[in-house]
Amino acid sequence: MWFFILAELLVFGIFFLAYAFARTHNVELFNASQLELDRASGVINTVLLISSSYFVVLAVSRIRRGHSRSCASWLITAMTCGAAFLVLKLSEFSGKIEAGINMSTNTFYMFYLGLGFFHFMHVVLGMIILGAVTLKAWRGGYSAADHAGVETGAAYWHMVDLVWIVLFPLIYILN
Amino acid sequence: MRVATFQWLMLLTLTALSFGLAEAGMSGSAVLIPVLLATLVKGNIVIDRFMALRGVKGPWRWIVLGWLLLVLGLIAYAFQLAQS
Repeated sequence: MWFFILAELLVFGIFFLAYAFARTHNVELFNASQLELDRASGVINTVLLISSSYFVVLAVSRIRRGHSRSCASWLITAMTCGAAFLVLKLSEFSGKIEAGINMSTNTFYMFYLGLGFFHFMHVVLGMIILGAVTLKAWRGGYSAADHAGVETGAAYWHMVDLVWIVLFPLIYILN
Repeated sequence: MRVATFQWLMLLTLTALSFGLAEAGMSGSAVLIPVLLATLVKGNIVIDRFMALRGVKGPWRWIVLGWLLLVLGLIAYAFQLAQS
């Protein structure tokens, strides 16, 4: 899993740097377009992902003590935050599409929509992984001695959070 | 779990700080340096504590931390380049 996570980080890193260096040629356009974003939505999404990561930490600590059902409950709480993130992100995207904005609008929006959608798909995959882990935990499939699946799912989810922690200031804050 | 809760609150506080700076209308280096430093601290918490890579044998921690440092450093360079 760690090789997979590192490959994902590498791809996201390249996209982040492509955004930052593309901006050097279009500073005014990037700054003006950034002001059209809903920054509050970005910060709420950050709170949701950070909190979901924290709940995953709690889930891992529970299974380390052999509390399978409690682990599943914290994972469900984490996934609820993940689902709220997806709903908010979809609402943000649909608002832009309704305003006639798409990836061809300008370079900023190409990155905003492209990076946002790429990360969105990773959240979806993370939810699928956490969902599978939750189901197994609920059925008592993990124990204090054997819970590698929970740790692996948690590592992937934290990677999704880590990427957003960089993406949020890059797209919504820095100008 | 008290430690994890403190780190979670720290992540939320740093997020609020970054958001506050942007809402206050700050731009350029005034927002770049504190926000990137806050992002570095947040990333470090996630890597060391949430991913639990601190103390893990092997290169994993340094590779992920190196990724974070390199990406944030080059973002800082690109934004400084745009200002000059």
